[in-house]
Amino acid sequence: MTLFIQQLFNGLALGGVYCLAAIGLTLVFGVLRIPNLAHGALYMLGAYITYFFLTTLGVPYIAAIGIAALLLFVVGVGLERLVFHPLRNSPHTHHMIAAVGAMFFFQALAQAIWGADFRRMKTPITGGLDILGAEISAQRIVIIVTAVIVLALLAWFIKRSIHGQTIEAIEQDRIGASLVGISPSMVSMLTLGLSALLATVAAGLVAPINLLSPTMGDALNLKVFAIIILGGLGSLPGAIVGGFALALAETMTATYISSAVGEAVAFIVLVAVLAIKPTGLFTKAVQR
Amino acid sequence: MNSVPRSRRHRLLASAAIGTLALSMAACGGGGSGDGDTVVIGYTGPLSGGGAAYGENVQIGLEMAIDDLNADGVEVDGEPVTLELKSLDDKYAPSTAASNAQRLADQDKAPVVVSPNAGAIKAIQQINSGRSNFLISAYTSDPAIVQSDNPLTMMIPPNFESYAAEFTETAMKHGGKKLALLGTQSEYGQQWTESITDAWKDAGGKIGGDNSVDYATVSDFAGPVSKALAEKPDAIFVGGPSQPTALIMEEARKQGFEGSFLVMDQAKLDEMATVTKLDNLKNSVGVLPVSEYEDPGTADFLKKYADKAGDKKVPTSETALNYQGIAIIAKAMEVSGSVDDPEKIRAAISDALPEVDDKYKVNGFPEEITEQGHLLNPNLEATYLDDEGKYTKVPIEQVSDNK
Repeated sequence: MTLFIQQLFNGLALGGVYCLAAIGLTLVFGVLRIPNLAHGALYMLGAYITYFFLTTLGVPYIAAIGIAALLLFVVGVGLERLVFHPLRNSPHTHHMIAAVGAMFFFQALAQAIWGADFRRMKTPITGGLDILGAEISAQRIVIIVTAVIVLALLAWFIKRSIHGQTIEAIEQDRIGASLVGISPSMVSMLTLGLSALLATVAAGLVAPINLLSPTMGDALNLKVFAIIILGGLGSLPGAIVGGFALALAETMTATYISSAVGEAVAFIVLVAVLAIKPTGLFTKAVQR
Repeated sequence: MNSVPRSRRHRLLASAAIGTLALSMAACGGGGSGDGDTVVIGYTGPLSGGGAAYGENVQIGLEMAIDDLNADGVEVDGEPVTLELKSLDDKYAPSTAASNAQRLADQDKAPVVVSPNAGAIKAIQQINSGRSNFLISAYTSDPAIVQSDNPLTMMIPPNFESYAAEFTETAMKHGGKKLALLGTQSEYGQQWTESITDAWKDAGGKIGGDNSVDYATVSDFAGPVSKALAEKPDAIFVGGPSQPTALIMEEARKQGFEGSFLVMDQAKLDEMATVTKLDNLKNSVGVLPVSEYEDPGTADFLKKYADKAGDKKVPTSETALNYQGIAIIAKAMEVSGSVDDPEKIRAAISDALPEVDDKYKVNGFPEEITEQGHLLNPNLEATYLDDEGKYTKVPIEQVSDNK
């Protein structure tokens, strides 16, 4: 029982990170209709910039994540302007090639600035809680709580605020939205910026329990693609449910079956979804 | 498509031709000029991607050796020779490593190519004695590369299989009979897991399930650690790159594990201490840190390393052993009187070993080379990091490279 509770919290913390990363990706897919293969690299860059502010400049932890998230928002906007916007009328493969190029660029940049060595980010949040005999570290509680707060804020932003509603409008009908005066190009910038911001929050939260390296985004990239395919491409609730479902499935299979199966679970899920319900759990109307 | 006007086209063509010419001249310039002969030492290793840190550690060792050797002066057949390092990135891919090696041998006439990865070395062994001939300076502890009887291979580190028996004995003495496996899922990690499993069983110990995880892709080690600890082990086998290994050990201590650790040779205890508190690493058996060696050149080497890489970086055996390796090769060139015949160089290694200057002996210097090309240091030692944070040396009896 203790083991189960321990793993439940480990799974929830992992799910929080997956969610934050996956939501950005699914938003970008909804608005720009492209799989942003550089998403993991933005996550990595977010982690390094948080590290820079926290460790090199000595900014407090939460503030460091906040500043990094804002900076990455700008990077996301820049990525849209410099890479995806000029390609908006070209065939889909061009976006993917450009995204892979951006990914390698960010990785090389991080290696040039911070080196290839692993780095450790120290967190001021130490200690842990004893929940029914399981030892849960405070950092994991922070991850879960922050993920919930950020997700709630995001839901409010998209459903209630004018700027957020424009995202949903463009997702639903690009031409219709531009007819009523919404600029698709502004919304594209906003969305990519937002996705980079969310990825940075995820990275800033998880970095203290893991290590920073220029390739840290690669593994996450694969997982978040599995998540948004499971949840349904472009679907917000899909990304949330998918994120927690995949994280819990991973942790629990690793615990009760074997670690090898735990590692493979994302891909088993992916294949199963594509075979049985290719549109994912929360299907959105697919428009051209 | 816009068409380019004729005059512009001519100008484009002309500038392209001049550009190509300039480039090819620059490429030629690197070779024969300067005083005496320049000999290129080739290196193909991961310089970007996930293995970049490892590849750079090796590269630093090669650079340090070449700088020192050039400063001392290398003389082959009465002629002064300048060594030059040429590095190519293979991103850890064996096929890229093989084409890099081919390029280094053909274009740069490198008589020696260094590679730090078993898979890459096996691929290079397909091409190094045939149409092109070059010596592989092989940095891997996988004995499979000498079992293949390649005539032009020099294997630098000890065979990893030698560690299992002694690690088992030490860990049992300080922990107990029940072992949990929590190594990494790389090919090398799995070979280690197997080797430790066999040794542990031979010593009458009990082993739980295989909890190996891929250190490179797991975002949170708490899950795998909780699972391994649920078996209530007395000892845990861990190991992959130093830093994630350190995180796993920290997590295990946090979750209340008090037994001993067996640390695979890829992880270095002193390097691990840079990311976690030494307290979390105590009661472990692993390879001896470079700084604990008492070889004649070690102290100077550490100083030079700190100058080059900064004092925050910990020198590891990747750097130190490749430093020694290049010194051995340079001496073998001097003894054989040849800089371009890899067979002569390889044949001269045995006679060259006792002649190498003491300053290049930094990390357990080898005394002989086996017929298959494995450098052997008869006094191999590992270490036990005790509860006070002190390193105690543990002598290792080496096993044969043949299965």
